[in-house]
Amino acid sequence: MTSAKILTLVPRTILWLFLLLTAFLMLFPVALTVLGSFKTNLEVTVGATILPKVWQFGNYSTAWKAANFSRFTWNSTFVSAATTVGTLLVTTMAAYAVDRANFFGKRFYVVLQASMLFISIGAVVLRPQFDMMIGLGLQKSLWGVIIILISAHASIFFMLIGFFRGIPRDLDEAALIDGCNFYSVFWRIVLPLLRPALAVCGLFVFRGAWNEYILPLVFTMTRPELQTLTVGLAGLRYSIGSASETQLMLAGACLSILPMLVVYIFANKSFMQVSAGAVKG
Amino acid sequence: MRKTQPYAFIMPSLLLTLALGVYPILWALRYMFYDYPGYGSATYVGLDNFARLMRDAEYWNSVKNTFIYAGGKLVLTLPLSLILAVILNKAFRGRQLLRAIYFLPTIISASVMSIVFFIIFNAYNGMANQFLMKYHLISSPINWLGADYAMLTTILIAVWGGVGNYMLLFLAGLQGIPNDLYEAASLDGANAAQKLFKITIPMLGPVLQMIVMYAITVALKGYESIMVFTGGGPYGKTDVMYLYVFKQFFPISADTASMQRFGYGSAVGFASAIIVGVVTALYFYFSRKMDKIY
Repeated sequence: MTSAKILTLVPRTILWLFLLLTAFLMLFPVALTVLGSFKTNLEVTVGATILPKVWQFGNYSTAWKAANFSRFTWNSTFVSAATTVGTLLVTTMAAYAVDRANFFGKRFYVVLQASMLFISIGAVVLRPQFDMMIGLGLQKSLWGVIIILISAHASIFFMLIGFFRGIPRDLDEAALIDGCNFYSVFWRIVLPLLRPALAVCGLFVFRGAWNEYILPLVFTMTRPELQTLTVGLAGLRYSIGSASETQLMLAGACLSILPMLVVYIFANKSFMQVSAGAVKG
Repeated sequence: MRKTQPYAFIMPSLLLTLALGVYPILWALRYMFYDYPGYGSATYVGLDNFARLMRDAEYWNSVKNTFIYAGGKLVLTLPLSLILAVILNKAFRGRQLLRAIYFLPTIISASVMSIVFFIIFNAYNGMANQFLMKYHLISSPINWLGADYAMLTTILIAVWGGVGNYMLLFLAGLQGIPNDLYEAASLDGANAAQKLFKITIPMLGPVLQMIVMYAITVALKGYESIMVFTGGGPYGKTDVMYLYVFKQFFPISADTASMQRFGYGSAVGFASAIIVGVVTALYFYFSRKMDKIY
């Protein structure tokens, strides 16, 4: 081997070692979770093994039935689906008006949304929000959580504005000449063309709602039947006792990770597109 | 008639934002001048809450921890994600797969992973200690969640969850740098490090500034995973300011006095928002140079 070859080979090897080590560190905790969910409690807590000795598929049925994960999964699905549909509806309508029409107060509206992106006083807002939902009688269902999640739509609004710019205005004008009005241009021209963008933004909203923890936690403190996967799982830590049922917690964690993981395997490019779109602006 | 149509389209968004975004802030701006224990009526106390805030050692401890946490997270996350982005910006076999792997943690719930990490880093029977002891890398269990290591472990978990996201943001920014510059630099004999500091970072300019600013605010405001992972413990070692705000309103964990303090909590939330605002403004002021590249 010539010295020139070694000179390019050594940095390349170091580079690959670095990339692979990072990949390993990223995957390892997830792999431990998945594999651990098939182990016995003893294996998880003292085993120091990678693979389970006997695959304990029963952990999942126990978590599903005894630890109430069927309920949590349904609640998470409901909250995430409703939030996704609601957010997309509210934001596409608003982005359409802002991008395609001129009206008094438009600047105020955009500045308002932009300030919503930056101002955060933390958990303080949960209290008045909660009181408001009690006033509306919505604290007894998950609709309170859903409406509050929909109300936090500033980032999706700005993402959609970016996508709207990609739809040529000529189309609107042609449709208007052909007898469409402001409403029918939205339903017949813009929405169909926006479908790929809606899929990407929908994915983003769904992920946010599915993974949301603090809001459902606060709203379901006294109503365990309304808890979502994230809240139910965290609650398991205190109710069963972490020392005795670790494998069930891992099975529960897998149940909450798995749906996102499956979607991610098929649509990881769309996921990444959203996040990247945020800086392109 | 025509003029009202756009209003119909922004109305749902506007109403939701005003009712659930703006009103709660106004609520806090009012009640931060009140003593409001969560039941009964609120009493106006003027600036008492802020006087108390100044003396509240527990709060200032949480502010200090917020800076340690945010500083540690940024110092590790930003360079690592920039390096990964620079490497993955070139076409090679396996690039897509690596990118997908690095981004994977960001799709998983922070609270769920915090529970898993609690199981992994548990001192008494956690998996991390099991493996390290099995391969004789340590002789006695490390108390990952003890007073000495809790903050470090918390930061490492935040880095794990954040690197993929920033890598992707940097990748998007890198797309804007023309390839000619690198080719010219190569002809002139520049090495990888020189290209990084002389071309990539200056050319990222405003994008880099935006990403860093975003990263700063996210790091200062984050408390969800800390709440699940350590609850701010042990002895307030990982208590951050927004977690402290949360505890004023929802005292759930065992190590806080189980008293709701809406008025004081509003003042704490306001003060924390000001601190984040000041840090962001300072950063913006000192990073202006980056904007002047063009």
